[in-house]
Amino acid sequence: MNNRPYIIATGLVLLLAIVFFNLSPDSSARLKRVLASFHIPLFSAQKTVEATGEILVNQAAPRKVLLQEIHELKRQNQILELRLGQTQSLERENHSLREQLELRPKPEWNPRLTRIVGRDPANWWRSVLIDLGTKAGVRVDMPVMSSQGLVGRVQEVHDHRSRVALLGDPACRISVTIEATGESGIISASGGTVFDPTLVKLLYLPANSEARAGDQLYTSGLGEIFPRGIPVGKLTAVTAAPGALTTQASVKLAVNSSKLNEVWVLMP
Amino acid sequence: MKGFFTLTILLTALTSIYAASAWHLPRQLTGAQLDPLPALMLVVALRAPISAVTALAIGGSLLQSALSSGPVGTSLVPLYALGLVVHLNAHSLSQYHIGPRFALGAIAGGVVPALTLSLLVLSGHEPLVGWFTLWQWSVGILGSGIFAVLFFPLLEWLDQSVEEQPLAAPYDTTTRIVRGTRFHG
Repeated sequence: MNNRPYIIATGLVLLLAIVFFNLSPDSSARLKRVLASFHIPLFSAQKTVEATGEILVNQAAPRKVLLQEIHELKRQNQILELRLGQTQSLERENHSLREQLELRPKPEWNPRLTRIVGRDPANWWRSVLIDLGTKAGVRVDMPVMSSQGLVGRVQEVHDHRSRVALLGDPACRISVTIEATGESGIISASGGTVFDPTLVKLLYLPANSEARAGDQLYTSGLGEIFPRGIPVGKLTAVTAAPGALTTQASVKLAVNSSKLNEVWVLMP
Repeated sequence: MKGFFTLTILLTALTSIYAASAWHLPRQLTGAQLDPLPALMLVVALRAPISAVTALAIGGSLLQSALSSGPVGTSLVPLYALGLVVHLNAHSLSQYHIGPRFALGAIAGGVVPALTLSLLVLSGHEPLVGWFTLWQWSVGILGSGIFAVLFFPLLEWLDQSVEEQPLAAPYDTTTRIVRGTRFHG
């Protein structure tokens, strides 16, 4: 048997493996951007198929059902307009009070709706792909949320797509505050189960923490990546080890990311 | 023509990696992500030359990395190791019935994730690992067996489709020309 092709192939693979494992984060991100371009035709095809399917489904919907939906949406719109009026009044009051106290004005966020177009092909990372990228103004570290609460943060940005690291992924550790006690901790990776990826761990609570199961968690706003006050989840159990410097807790996240199809990117 | 076959293998890898990422149903039902690459590598290693095995290991792992938040080329060495071992032992592996095809695919689906996870941990990364990993591994093994059963006929068909076919002669090959001194009017 001629061994030459096997030696060349093995050498090439080992050389590439060494190069890939020693890539800097910047080079790695650039290489991924280039490689992702091979998937663009498939993303476009999927988008076209979904759009066509939506048109067909809309055409098949009976007129009676559509009229009922319009009626229901009009009713909801009126309720939301009333609530918006109340919120705007509170916002003005809040702004005026902040001015009197000489506090810095809160930054405003523009939410932008986007679809989830893909999920991480490996089991050991929790991330999704959304179909908004730099062309739409998306930048790394922008918060991503759903109507129920925080989903994660933008991890990588391409021209028309971005990767979002979900809560529970090692790349998405965030600072949260327990509403009842005011204590802060860090949401970390792991703690989930196969069928319930919404379980994560809360680390670095004070040793004498007064937190209890059922307490609500919100983003703390520390680090200035996430705005303060976005719902994150609630405590399910608090474990205080005797003699330990910190307390750990289990958290059930407000959002089950495995069931999401659309998310909001918060743009400043 | 073998170069064209390698290209079709890479296109199959691209499509199957994309489909596994974009089609959420298996993950929602089982809680595990299915990986088609180990089964594809098994079939390629049994049918194609070492150059195709190398191209699939490099191309497949890079295309998968493009959709993943993990480091680039994580599955390169595990995929190539599987391909090399299978390719060198191709003559002693049974591959003509569904049972052995499923079993080989399942073994491939068990070996590649285990090697990849070991490499990730040894290189200082922090993958999400827990008791649920055993379940995901089991589902991956089963899924890879099914992928192998599907990939065998697909690659056979692709190989036949791109294989060089003999051209049809533009004349009647049964006619005999007999040369001689006498003229046959």
